[in-house]
Amino acid sequence: MEKTQEIIKSTDLISDLRYQISNQIGAKSLLACIQCGICSSSCTVSEYIDLQPHRVVACLLLGLKDKILNSNAIWYCSLCHRCTERCPKNVDYSFILALLRNMAVKEGNMPPEYEITINNLLEHGFTVPYAGMMKKSIDRNREKFNLPEIVTPNLEEIEFIVKETGLKKILEDAKKGKKKEVKT
Amino acid sequence: MDYAFFLGCMIPLRSPQLEAAARKDCEILGIGLKEMHGASCCPDPVAIQSLGIETWLTIGARNLCIAEKMGLNVMTICSGCFETLKTVHVMLKRDKRYFDMVNEILGKIGYEFRGTSKVYHITEILSDKKMLEKIKDSVKVPLEGITLASHPGCHLIRPSKILEFDDPERPEVMDKILKTLGAEVKQYAEKVTCCGYCARLNEDIGDNLCEIKFNDLVKNQIDALITVCPACTSQYDLHGRKIARKSDKPMEIPVIHLPEIMALAFGINPKSENMDIMKRAIKPRKLLEKLKIEI
Ligand code: SF4
Ligand code: SF4
Repeated sequence: MEKTQEIIKSTDLISDLRYQISNQIGAKSLLACIQCGICSSSCTVSEYIDLQPHRVVACLLLGLKDKILNSNAIWYCSLCHRCTERCPKNVDYSFILALLRNMAVKEGNMPPEYEITINNLLEHGFTVPYAGMMKKSIDRNREKFNLPEIVTPNLEEIEFIVKETGLKKILEDAKKGKKKEVKT
Repeated sequence: MDYAFFLGCMIPLRSPQLEAAARKDCEILGIGLKEMHGASCCPDPVAIQSLGIETWLTIGARNLCIAEKMGLNVMTICSGCFETLKTVHVMLKRDKRYFDMVNEILGKIGYEFRGTSKVYHITEILSDKKMLEKIKDSVKVPLEGITLASHPGCHLIRPSKILEFDDPERPEVMDKILKTLGAEVKQYAEKVTCCGYCARLNEDIGDNLCEIKFNDLVKNQIDALITVCPACTSQYDLHGRKIARKSDKPMEIPVIHLPEIMALAFGINPKSENMDIMKRAIKPRKLLEKLKIEI
């Protein structure tokens, strides 16, 4: 592989990036990382990503937000939790990764697959569509197996939660065309 | 013992045959299942957590509130639902700030999360010592002469500091249950390898991971791969067929959900209102032949 040197300007560093993450749920131990690389050597998707887990953590500690958010490492992760399981310093890398995805989503960078999932959740209460012909065929199928009828959730409640937790606005902004291409 | 039965999405809507088998097993074993009316998607530990962790926690807590109102612990037959609900339960109980945030929202729609209902995957309930004895007594068609491999999958065992289920590097709970059904269970190198279903933004990942898994299973002459998650089940079933078609070696290894293989051992008709074992890409014909079960 060709070796390239990268020059990082101090003005590109976001000094409180580490706290933006470590202040959130499940990410308290981020600052304890010793760069041992166990997370990377355990990673299920290490051959596919352009920034290994321990390097994502290093970038996070340094404050290199764009480098992280432009990396495919945050989207290809299978959330297998091997990194979190094996980290000797208790760094919850897989949760940190979910928080980094949240950060990308807030900036309008949202994989269409996930957008379909949240739209289904809002429309049906499930990640699988459950209405119209689809509902009829599911119900028939369940009847065949003698299974009880599905009592669907109150969709207003689901929508209220999505709104109150700020995700609704992010989705609406994305819809309004502020959406950028997802970088994978 | 009664449980609030959390169904989720994939199993009740896409693979109801798995739900039917689990309900039958529970009936035979005296595990009471109560319906959680109005429960939603768990929600999805990958897509929804990735979009917004607060949304994920709050919708998960709303589901748990339904079980709390019923005064029951939760049982699920999906590892994704297990991971979400158990993580929500543990995290909210450990973090006061998020506990309060979630309850402030839930309070406005008439719920209160207290954390009184514990979350179990069916595998944990079945592996209890007394339950294993009950299972042994209920076996009508011992799975003798067949070799099984278990795939616990990621979301049942990791991270162990939250899920507190089995050994995360050398899991053995599933194997204990399968041995009780009379089967031989083989240890294999790729036992804790991820199925790749959740890395869905790059299909190569899943293709490769499944190929690694099936090569190892074939090498070990496994009759069936046993799973406890609908995502792993469908991932291996579909990829397994693709791999077998490409290969000139016989590679067809059926992928079967733990409650289904248990129902088979309990003597349930494999093609009835209690399960449909043929509802999959790789049909377990040879397995049934070996067990002398006719359909
Ligand atoms: S395993 Fe933990 S301590 Fe080691 S590099 Fe990864 S995050 Fe840092
Ligand atoms: S959770 Fe993601 S980053 Fe961690 S080991 Fe698994 S694939 Fe790699």
